[in-house]
Amino acid sequence: MPHLGPVIVIVEDESLLRLDSAETIEHAGFEVIQAANADEAIAILNARLDIHVVFTDIQMPGSMDGLKLAHFVRNRWPPIKIVATSGQVVAGADDLPAGSVFLPKPYRGAEVVATLRELTGAS
Amino acid sequence: MSEFGHIDEYRELFENAPCGYLTTGPDGRITKVNATLTTWTGFGADKFIGRRLHQFLNMAGRIYYETHIAPLLRMQGFFNEFALDFETAAGERLPVIANASERRDAEGALLFTAVVVIKATDRRRYERQLVEARSELQKGLATERETAELREQFIAVLGHDLRNPLAAISAGARILQRSGALREHKDLRVLDMINTTVTRMSDLIDDVLDFARGRLGKGIVLNCDSTQPLEPVLEQVVDELRTASPDRIIETSFDIREPVNCDRARVGQLLSNLVGNALTHGAPDQPVRIGAKTEGDELKLWVANAGEPIPAAAMERLFEPFFRGDVRDSRQGLGLGLHIASQIAQAHGGRIDVTSTADETRFVFKMPLALAAS
Repeated sequence: MPHLGPVIVIVEDESLLRLDSAETIEHAGFEVIQAANADEAIAILNARLDIHVVFTDIQMPGSMDGLKLAHFVRNRWPPIKIVATSGQVVAGADDLPAGSVFLPKPYRGAEVVATLRELTGAS
Repeated sequence: MSEFGHIDEYRELFENAPCGYLTTGPDGRITKVNATLTTWTGFGADKFIGRRLHQFLNMAGRIYYETHIAPLLRMQGFFNEFALDFETAAGERLPVIANASERRDAEGALLFTAVVVIKATDRRRYERQLVEARSELQKGLATERETAELREQFIAVLGHDLRNPLAAISAGARILQRSGALREHKDLRVLDMINTTVTRMSDLIDDVLDFARGRLGKGIVLNCDSTQPLEPVLEQVVDELRTASPDRIIETSFDIREPVNCDRARVGQLLSNLVGNALTHGAPDQPVRIGAKTEGDELKLWVANAGEPIPAAAMERLFEPFFRGDVRDSRQGLGLGLHIASQIAQAHGGRIDVTSTADETRFVFKMPLALAAS
């Protein structure tokens, strides 16, 4: 598989939403790795050193929700950018690590792609 | 009739009157008591004579007699319709209503006090029942309010929870569409119908959430912005409805020349609800006509359809929540669409008016271009 573009980890427990977003983001020229929860995402981040952005849902079952994951990633891998999304809560500036982006659900594919391009400087 | 007979008759009236009589002398001691009262209380006349009235009352009655009745009698010479409880020889309570008045001689010296006692077992019981019924009612109302609030909170939570699986269905449909795996006309039609249904259900959930929010006292919150044009939002709403009802004709004429200080998404929702209503209830072979224009200092937005006029009885209840007209097809919603449209209109300082004749049913939304600060 040729290296496409910046690498995005998408963390979403609802598999159809994850697959849909993954395809949309891939189609826009990014490389996408899917994770169904925070633990899977952390395993991926431990294994690969080329992740640019973690795109995570906030409401997730498991040991960490999206907000905790965002802070964990910021402490452990400071250069990685974070995009968080939720249909239920609106994350304010204090909830997410500095420089993170919040997208309310339902988001459009084009919005996600534009946000990822801005964060990674990809065209 | 002899003189003697008269006296007998008066005595009879005194003794066996349908009320109790007693008199007390200037010293407050009982001087006369009639048979009715001795029967009611079970105390013979000999037990009454020479004693004081308050000795025949229960404790509450004694206190009330000493603190209220006796002083007022002395001050004004009478006391009407006071409630007392006698205590009978059997130790039972005898609730009564009593009147008392004093007789004085020419010099103003007290001769006696006459007391009339009317049994009030039933009346006092009704009064107590009324008080109890009222407090039961108040308790019931409070419970009802709590239940209603709980129900609306439940609706709000349910609405949120329904959105997630709906978003998943929608995502699934997009994945199939993108994959190109579906090529048959029928398969693509099914995919379209899934998308249309998702949109409809999502609109229903929005309505339910808006309703719950309204009832929970938060009302419809507006995010007004007059710098952006309204027309593209209206066009988009109409496009979505055309896609959802491909066999219906929707005609538009928009002429918005002034900036409108409104929440565009909310006005879009209002239009969507009005058009949804027109598509559901209008004649299916006739177009639904939509127009919007700025006129004077008002925005006017209307939706018109042909078909049966709205019955007069239904007219008054159109904007009530959960009101549903005649069901014509499965597009029927919860009956919240018009209610929420009217809430949105009110939030913008505007209103929706309806006219319905055999020719046309028309909903007109009017709002001021510059929303007054509220």
